[in-house]
Parts: sequence; structure tokens; C-alpha cells
Amino acid sequence: MTAAVQDPAAGAAPAPVARGRRSVLRLARLYSASRRIPVALALLAALGLLLWSALNWRWSIAGGPAAQDFISLTVEAGAASVIAVSTHGPFGEVERATGRWLPYLRAGAAVALTAIAFGALAAAATGGSLPGGSLALLRNLAGLAGLGLLGAAALGGAFGWTGPLAYLLVTEVALSGHPTTPWIWAARPPHDLGGALCAAGVLVAGVVAVTVFGTRDSGRRPAPE
Amino acid sequence: MTAVTEAPAWPARTGASRAAAPLSLLRLLRIELRRNSMPWLLPLIAVLFWFDSYRPSASVPPLYVLRTFWNLGQGHTIIDFGPFVAGVAAWMGSRDGRRRTADLVTGTAWPRWTAQLATWAATAIWAVGAYLVFVGVMFAVYATEHVQGQPPWWWVAVGAAAVAAFSAAGFAVGAYWPSRFAAPLAAFGGFLAMVMSSQTGFHDTSGWALILPTNSNGNLQPDSGMLYPYLPDLPIARVMLLAGLAIAFLGLTGLPRAAGGLRLRQIAAAVTVTGMAAAGTGIGLVTTARLSPHGIVIPALHDAASDRLSSYTPVCGQAAGRPVCVNPAYRSDLADVTTALAPLLAEVSGLPGAPVRAEQIPAVYDSADGQAGQAMTITGQPPVLGLPLGALGVRGAFGWTSAEVDGQLRLLAAHAFVGGGAGTGTLAQQAVEAALLEGAGVPFASQPSLRTTVGLPSWARPATGNTGGHRHGPPAAAGPVYAAARRLAALPAASRGAWLTTHLAALRAGQLTLAQLP
Repeated sequence: MTAAVQDPAAGAAPAPVARGRRSVLRLARLYSASRRIPVALALLAALGLLLWSALNWRWSIAGGPAAQDFISLTVEAGAASVIAVSTHGPFGEVERATGRWLPYLRAGAAVALTAIAFGALAAAATGGSLPGGSLALLRNLAGLAGLGLLGAAALGGAFGWTGPLAYLLVTEVALSGHPTTPWIWAARPPHDLGGALCAAGVLVAGVVAVTVFGTRDSGRRPAPE
Repeated sequence: MTAVTEAPAWPARTGASRAAAPLSLLRLLRIELRRNSMPWLLPLIAVLFWFDSYRPSASVPPLYVLRTFWNLGQGHTIIDFGPFVAGVAAWMGSRDGRRRTADLVTGTAWPRWTAQLATWAATAIWAVGAYLVFVGVMFAVYATEHVQGQPPWWWVAVGAAAVAAFSAAGFAVGAYWPSRFAAPLAAFGGFLAMVMSSQTGFHDTSGWALILPTNSNGNLQPDSGMLYPYLPDLPIARVMLLAGLAIAFLGLTGLPRAAGGLRLRQIAAAVTVTGMAAAGTGIGLVTTARLSPHGIVIPALHDAASDRLSSYTPVCGQAAGRPVCVNPAYRSDLADVTTALAPLLAEVSGLPGAPVRAEQIPAVYDSADGQAGQAMTITGQPPVLGLPLGALGVRGAFGWTSAEVDGQLRLLAAHAFVGGGAGTGTLAQQAVEAALLEGAGVPFASQPSLRTTVGLPSWARPATGNTGGHRHGPPAAAGPVYAAARRLAALPAASRGAWLTTHLAALRAGQLTLAQLP
């Protein structure tokens, strides 16, 4: 009798905790599928490989500080773009009406992808000498990802890449003029507090914007088609 | 019955039915223009355009050729536009694939390729139109700032062709990889291509690399657009390359089976080949390019009429009682030039071969000295001092001070007077030149550092010998040349003038030695 109670018969409803865990996992899987996160992971791995190749075979561009940092900064901006574009949701209003988990999924996906991107690029940095080291990589990637997420919130997930690309363009010009503002954090030394705070602030703003408001194409506001 | 037999098998094509096809295409284009994503990014591009293309040019002297060297010559307007246009075009090109509507649109009246071309055309119209508007606004701002010379219209055409090429390339990426990640791939790929092209453009002064729209070597240098026209040869070749690439990419989008019937795909293949041929021809043409005094010449594209000097009514001032005349574009520099030349013209006044007037002459393109710092000349009878102002120090450029600009102009004028030509000159010529400069207000002590300033020909730089001048600053004004110069300068003006009157001919012929100086 006791055994029968502890070992429910096949076909009986699973315990509520197990059912809840399974449904959360299913929700996360469906969310990641709708955001093409597997493709994003593959692209992040490819960008890591690109960075490793650049460092290992010492690809370089002749010129000043902007040129020296250019390849690694471009790869970091590319990774930030992948994170931002993965926030694009194809369902819009329908998805917003389905439950209360969506903001958590948005925040979780953005933070997890940023962490994975950092891990992939940091691992790739073992291929050679990365300008500024892992600390600069973390700061640059965080700031760029924040810009991407802000771009996604403003223009739509599909256009989240515009933020990192615009920043890359501004940085390329500004670096040739020896900027002192911490907002051009890529030009600051790795241990510079001002640059780190600016980059972290932008990342927090981006995650909050995407979490609270969603991307522009999430049904609340009209977005580019 | 009669009516039936007289009726044609097919309805006759009326004017209205003939007009229906183009009208429906125009309607399709109008819909695509309204639903295009490009306008959403134009505010961001406008800000970047201001920051990257206009703002750096605002600190340059107000001559079109200098103002546009950075933004059009080095292709920054294209860098600001191209990657974003490629990204948006990729997004538009991937639309059918992303929405899984390819099968749906295959059954419509127009072949899929035609509909895709309408989507691309709408994107390109927005992008190229915005590019032209932004450049137009920048030129309008230049006009309010009284920028002189002619705008380089051919380089604007190159930029527009580049934007169209980026849109076509991005569209092809989107059509072949209908993914949300196609847009950033196209955008970052375009950005990387432009920056790598910039790096190549900085150091390659000949060969195929001249085709790159970011390569400023051999074009957009003074006095183009002022004393002679911009040579269109190189921009024409670049337009051929970029238009050819655009056509080839668009042709590629018509090759898949889903794009249309066999005949349409054959046409797409022909279009692709034509585009590649045009691009290849453009590259082939620039390999035959050579640098002429007025810019890059491509023999197959060159029009001899482009070599004529521009006619203008000079504006003149006075320096030590002698007229100094310049192109109206240099009107704002006239006062500085007369102020700089007056002491030297006064110093040589009355001596044989002293110029009776000074006139601006065209600066020539010269890869050897990076086009900067060309020698002045004294030619004709009566002698006229030729001022290649386009290649000389202009106030405001490179952060020169007025003392440096004055010193450079006096140095070059003195060098021309002693017959130094396009080289260092003999030791005796150097000594007399130094003495004349001392008399014109450039002290011996400051002459070596003046000679190291940017903007002078390479021959003007002092020989450092074992002093390691460049590592430890310019060498001191010492040695046999300066000793002889000091002896000459120490003579009373009348004695110095008499000696120069007697010996100037031999000095200019290079027949005097240092020992023969007084």
C-alpha cells in the first residue's frame, strides 16, 4: 500500500514541481527557437574562430591606435549585433498576451548570450595577444551589447545591429583624435573606471529596455518591416 | 455572325493595355517605397554623416578640394552610408524567405525576380536619394561658409554608385540567406570591406588599387576645381566598377529556379556576366592609369579638353611695391601672401633678376613629394615670381602658425632667386639664400627648424649629418654654409648689393664656391 502511494502508476499526472520545471524548460526552448538562438550561438562560435585566427596569425592593419584595435573591436561589435538581433520576435502582439514570463525570458536570453559571447571571445583570445586583454574585451563587449539592445528597443530587434555598427564608426573616427571622454570606452585603458562604468551603464540600460519594453517589433509600437 | 467572323482571335492591344504593365510596375514600386525600411535608419545615418563626413572637414581651409578630400576623396561618405544600406537591403531581400511567402508570390502575375527588383529599386531609391540630399546639404553649408572652387561632382557620382552597389550586394545576401542575421552580416561585411579598402588606399599610389573609392592618391589635390578642372577619368572607371558590381549582384538574384522561367534566368545570367564585364573593364582601365600634372589620366577615357587651364580674372595686392596676383579662390590668402613676400622682395629689390611681380601658378600633382611643397619659379623677362600656392602653406592647414607660413614662403622665394631650382642648390647658393632670409626677417637661428616644418619640399630639409637632427631636433645654424652666410649678412647693405649684382649670374649658374663669398 505504501509502495503504491510512493510509486504512482504509469499514466498518472506528474507532480506539480516536476511539471512546472518541465514547462519552464519547454518555454525556454520554444523561446530560444523563436529567437533563432541556436543560429546565434553558431555565429558567436564563428566570430570566436575569426578572432582566434586574427590573433594567432597576427592579422593587422597598418595605422594608429584605431587600426591596431580595429579587428578585435569589429569582432566584438559583430558579437554584440548577434545578441541584439536575436531579440527580434516574429509574433508581436500575440506573444505579449500569452503570459507573464516573457520579460524574464528576454532578460535571461540577453544576459546569457552576452556571457556566452564573452566566454567564446575570451577563449579565442588565447590564440594571441588581445589588445587590452580580457578586461577590455569584457568592457567593450558589454557596452556594445548594451547599445545593440538599446537599438533593438528603439528600432526593432532586426535592426539592433545598427547600434554597435554606429558606435564602431564613431570610435574609428574618434580614436584618431585621442579622445578623453569615457563614452569612447574602447579608447581607454583596460583598468579605467570611467570607461567601465559607462559601458556597464549602457549594458544595464539595454537589458532593462529590452526586458521592460521589449523590442520595437513586439507589438507595442510600429517597427520597420 | 459577321461580327463573330470579323472578331480577332486575340483582343487587339490597345494603348491602355500597353500602358498597363509599366503602370502596374510603378504601382508596385510605389508600394515598396512606402513599405521600405530604409527611411527608419536615415536619422541615424544623418547623425553619423555629420559626425564623420562634415565635422572633420569644417576645420580645413575653405577650398572645395580640401574640404572634400576627407569625405569624398577618402570615401567617408560611402563608409557612413554603405554598411547601413547593405544591412537594410539584406533585410528587404530576405523578406520573402523569412516570411515563407516565396511560393505564394511565385504564382502572381509578375515573375518573382521582377518583384524582387522592385523591392531592391525602392531600397536603392531611398538610399541613393538620401545620399544625394545629404551631400547636397553639406555643399549648401559649404556655400554659406564661402568655400571656394568647384564641387567635385564626379566624386559625388562615385558615392551614389557605391551606395547603389552596397544596396545590390546586401540585397543578394538577403535573397540567398533569408535569415534575420543576414542584415548584420551584410552590414559588418560591408564595413570591413570599406575599412580594408581605406588601408589599401592610403599606401597604394598606382595599379589596380586606384579603383578603390577610398583611395585618394592622385586625385582631389590642389589646384583641381580652381586653376584646372577635376579630371573625370578615375571617377568614370570607379563608376564602371561599382555599377558593374551592382548589376552583377542583381543578376545573381535572378539565377535560382524560383526566380522565374528558363528565359528569365538566362537573362539574369546575361545580366550577371555583363555586370562582371563592366567591373572588370573598370579595373583593367585603371591599370593603364598614369599621374599627370592635373591628376590621374586613363588614356582610353581621357579627354584632352580636360587639360586646359581654367580662365579667371586674378585678384591682386602689393608687396614691396610689386603686384602679387592670385586666383580669386585664394582671395582670402592674398593679404597673408603679400605680407610674407614683402620683406624678401624688398631685400632683393634692384638686383639683377629680381621679380617685378608675383603670380600664382598651378600646383601640379607630384607623387614624389606627396604633392606638398613645390618650388617657386622665376621666369620670363621681366622676371615673374611663380607661386604654386595650391602646394604651399595655407594658413589654418596642418596647424601652421603665421610665422611658419611666412617663413616657408620667404624661404621658397629666396631659393628661387638664388637659382636653387628643385634641389638643395650649391653650398654658395645655400649661403646666399640664408643671408637673404636673415635680411628678410628670418633669423639664422630659426632657419634650421623652419626647414623641418611640414609642407616644404624634401630638399629644404637640413642635412642632419652625424647630429641626428631628427632625433634631437633640428641641427644648429652652424657650419661653413652658415659661417659664409653670416659674413655676407654682416656686410653693409650697399657692399652686399654690389657683390650680389656682380656675382648673381655665376651664383645661379652654380659656378661659385663658398670660398668665393666675401
